[in-house]
Amino acid sequence: MKRRDFLVATAASGAMLGMPGLLHAVGTGLSSHVPDNPFLSWFNVDEAVMRRVMSELSAHGADTADLYFEHNQGNSIAMEDGIVSSARSWIDQGVGLRVVVGDQTGYAYTEDLSVEAMLKAARTAAAIAKGSKAVPPQHFNASRAGDMYRIAMPWSDVKIDDKLARVRKLESLARHQDAAVKKVTINWSDYDQKVVIATLDGRVVADYRPMTRLWCTVTAEKKGVQQSTSANLSGRYGMDHYTDDRLQALAKKAVDNTLVLFDARRPEAGEMPVLLAAGASGILLHEAIGHGMEADFNRKGTSIYSDMLNKKVANPHVTIVDQGTLAYERGALNYDDEGNPAQRNLLVENGVLRGYLHDSISARHYKVPPGGSGRRESYRHAPMPRMTCTLMENGPHSRDEMIASMKKGIVAETYTNGQVSIGAGDFTFYIKNGWLVENGKITAPIKDCNIIGNGPQVLRDITMVGNDSRMDTGGWTCGKNGQSVPVSLGMPSVLVSKMTVGGEHAG
Amino acid sequence: MPDKMRIAAEQALDLARKAGVQDVWVKVDRSRDVTHEYRDGKLEKVKDATSRSLSIDLYVDGRYASHSTTDLREQTLSGFITNAVVLTRALQADPWRKITPPELFRGRTDKDLQIMDPAIRDLDSARRLAWCEELDERVRGDKRLISASCGLYDGNSRTLSLSSNGFEGEQTGTSIWMGADLTYRDQGDRRASGSFYPGARQLADMPSAKDIARECLERVRQRLGVVKGPSLKGRMVVDARAAGRLISSLVKPATARAFQQQRSFWSGEIGEKLFSEKLSLVDDPLLLRGLGSRLYDGEGIAARPITLVDRGVVKNIYVDTYYGRKLKMAPTTAGSSNLLVKPGKQSLKNLLQAAEEGVYVTSWLGGNADNTTGEFSLGLRGHMIRKGRIAEPVGEMNVTGNLQELFTNLVSVGNDPWRYSNLRSPSMLFDGVSFSGA
Repeated sequence: MKRRDFLVATAASGAMLGMPGLLHAVGTGLSSHVPDNPFLSWFNVDEAVMRRVMSELSAHGADTADLYFEHNQGNSIAMEDGIVSSARSWIDQGVGLRVVVGDQTGYAYTEDLSVEAMLKAARTAAAIAKGSKAVPPQHFNASRAGDMYRIAMPWSDVKIDDKLARVRKLESLARHQDAAVKKVTINWSDYDQKVVIATLDGRVVADYRPMTRLWCTVTAEKKGVQQSTSANLSGRYGMDHYTDDRLQALAKKAVDNTLVLFDARRPEAGEMPVLLAAGASGILLHEAIGHGMEADFNRKGTSIYSDMLNKKVANPHVTIVDQGTLAYERGALNYDDEGNPAQRNLLVENGVLRGYLHDSISARHYKVPPGGSGRRESYRHAPMPRMTCTLMENGPHSRDEMIASMKKGIVAETYTNGQVSIGAGDFTFYIKNGWLVENGKITAPIKDCNIIGNGPQVLRDITMVGNDSRMDTGGWTCGKNGQSVPVSLGMPSVLVSKMTVGGEHAG
Repeated sequence: MPDKMRIAAEQALDLARKAGVQDVWVKVDRSRDVTHEYRDGKLEKVKDATSRSLSIDLYVDGRYASHSTTDLREQTLSGFITNAVVLTRALQADPWRKITPPELFRGRTDKDLQIMDPAIRDLDSARRLAWCEELDERVRGDKRLISASCGLYDGNSRTLSLSSNGFEGEQTGTSIWMGADLTYRDQGDRRASGSFYPGARQLADMPSAKDIARECLERVRQRLGVVKGPSLKGRMVVDARAAGRLISSLVKPATARAFQQQRSFWSGEIGEKLFSEKLSLVDDPLLLRGLGSRLYDGEGIAARPITLVDRGVVKNIYVDTYYGRKLKMAPTTAGSSNLLVKPGKQSLKNLLQAAEEGVYVTSWLGGNADNTTGEFSLGLRGHMIRKGRIAEPVGEMNVTGNLQELFTNLVSVGNDPWRYSNLRSPSMLFDGVSFSGA
């Protein structure tokens, strides 16, 4: 509703069987876990029904129309006070039906996959169009299954006991890291998302998308003072991702980030140089430029970047991309939620603004090919342009030379959240852990300060770009217009000459 | 006509019992949500859908798990529950986890909370479109306008809950939200934006399209020519529409879970004066027409008002049955309903005059707070206060401090509680606040 954006067992239903010849070309099956006939296998819907529903959906005309079938099955587990105290499982399935005429969208969805319910929803969505009937496809042509996240075993086949063993192991590792640790909470989640998208022009895409996330939250106590924080791992991985080494590293990170808070303080309030540490600082890209480059905002002229295409916006060392094709990343996709292949989209090349992130509506508006950036939270929502994995490429500088160049400033290391105002370009992110830099040296830990800046201004103020680019291993969820989608972010160490830091001792 | 929701709930309860589950809690939801969005003079999006789901909490041999599905067909429900029981049995026994005792169901009011409005439930498409058209016409016309998006969102819902130990409850409600989001061309490449989306349970409680348009126009015009304010320590007036964010951060650690997990700066303070005597907070689920009103909470506990803070003294926190057992505290309620800040007698104008100099906050941008220590840092947008009046618009500033100290420095509370939220806070005046800017 608001323009501001921020950075969280049973077979599927269906009434008809038959038409076994449908969609033989889809995928290899194998380890991508996409069956030969995903409509039939996942949703019990055949090609004749698909054609009938599509025909009803486009009965009053359509530039494009699509059906988005989704089956999401998952588990979450919580361990607290040494007991696996609760668990949750869910099955969420349904179909979203969309008609697009020009810039206008009609949308409906139903959890009931009977023919009658889907036809009723199709009539509701079709009501936005006032023209003559569009021509539905005679046949659906399947696209090849992708290989961005092939895992050995779907999450729904992994035994609960195997998951519990990993949860207990992580809890034990965190609890025994340090005598100051008083409470440890572990939160596990996993899901299998099965998606089939059929379009008015006869394309069919099927995608199996795994996801998992593991949180470790720690409370420590020293001299009656308590501090707490958390760390997490996330991605489109299978069970084998949770090795002993990764669990050990996660427990250590959660405990270290908590213990350092006992000695941390707030920096002084005001403007100062900020060194954004490699990895999680990709939150800068997401907030300061990524949202502003989503083409729906630019199509409407509401983004501060609307008139800057092909103009110099940053230091020549700055190259920023949004790339759905980063295997196993949380934001990775084989196809977007409109059935277009995910790809590498160049946002800024050597300091020059190059292109927007498109869904099919904005691509048609700008007369460019779809960029594979049309995403949605679930079948309950229409897609829109979104980021996937946003990253900055390496520059020539080292982190050490950046720190050495700072007289007084901060290093921002870990974050909890961020937000942007698209029109003004102002953005924020909240630093949980960081460091004070004085006379070219790190002198003390800092904590709990908000950073605020203006996107285009901060891009101009980037003075050094590091040679240590990496993706953050934690899980980020992006919210926009009431829809949340998983994303990834990363970048090298970057020095910004001036940002406004929320601190103490102002005035 | 058979009640399909009740049939599904009873069937799930029966299947779980037959599978050897000792205690069961079933909830079936049905909701309809309708969206109409207009942009720059024409209809852009229509969405209309009815959703349903079933959730079931199982208590098996001292073990607990919650399960949900959107597939309510009789032939698939059986398999779903069989699998749910298997998963629950695989967990550890937890001596604190038990179904809500029936004594907590007692005392439920039978009064009509007036949260179901047939006028919203029976809205037709033509009426919705007419409102959007009127709003769209009223917000356009200024040559600085780049884009105007108007939206109307309405819906109705029904929830039915049954438990193996005798709980039965049904709640129905409607809501409507309408507003606009405007973008104006500002200096350089900057855009100024302003929006206003009021919502209510009853159509009669909504402002007119004319009033919504006027508020939107005022908000966007106030954001033109924003400058970065200075770093300073001084007074802060928070507008009623923004004060809810502060209150929300303040009460987040006021839960038995946060206490028991040692992640609350309220911990150990029940009965103590923790904040300014100007602060009184009541959670009132029985507020007529309230957006958060309810007859019972998610655990079936009969709804009643709970005083959280009285003149700065902590009286109660949110205590659910699980963490209540762990802490040996009597349950109050599992979560907030309508959180009401007791209004004062001063108008916003008086608060600004009393501040003399400082910063007037109209909205927040990002930021966060640490529940364990109360330390917070938030981005802000608003105006400088000069000689007791609203002066130039400012942005790109942070306010940073500790929530307990901030609310100890609460000087005065306004008489203007924000109506369009389940968190109704008036404007507030604080002293000794640290701002960072230029």
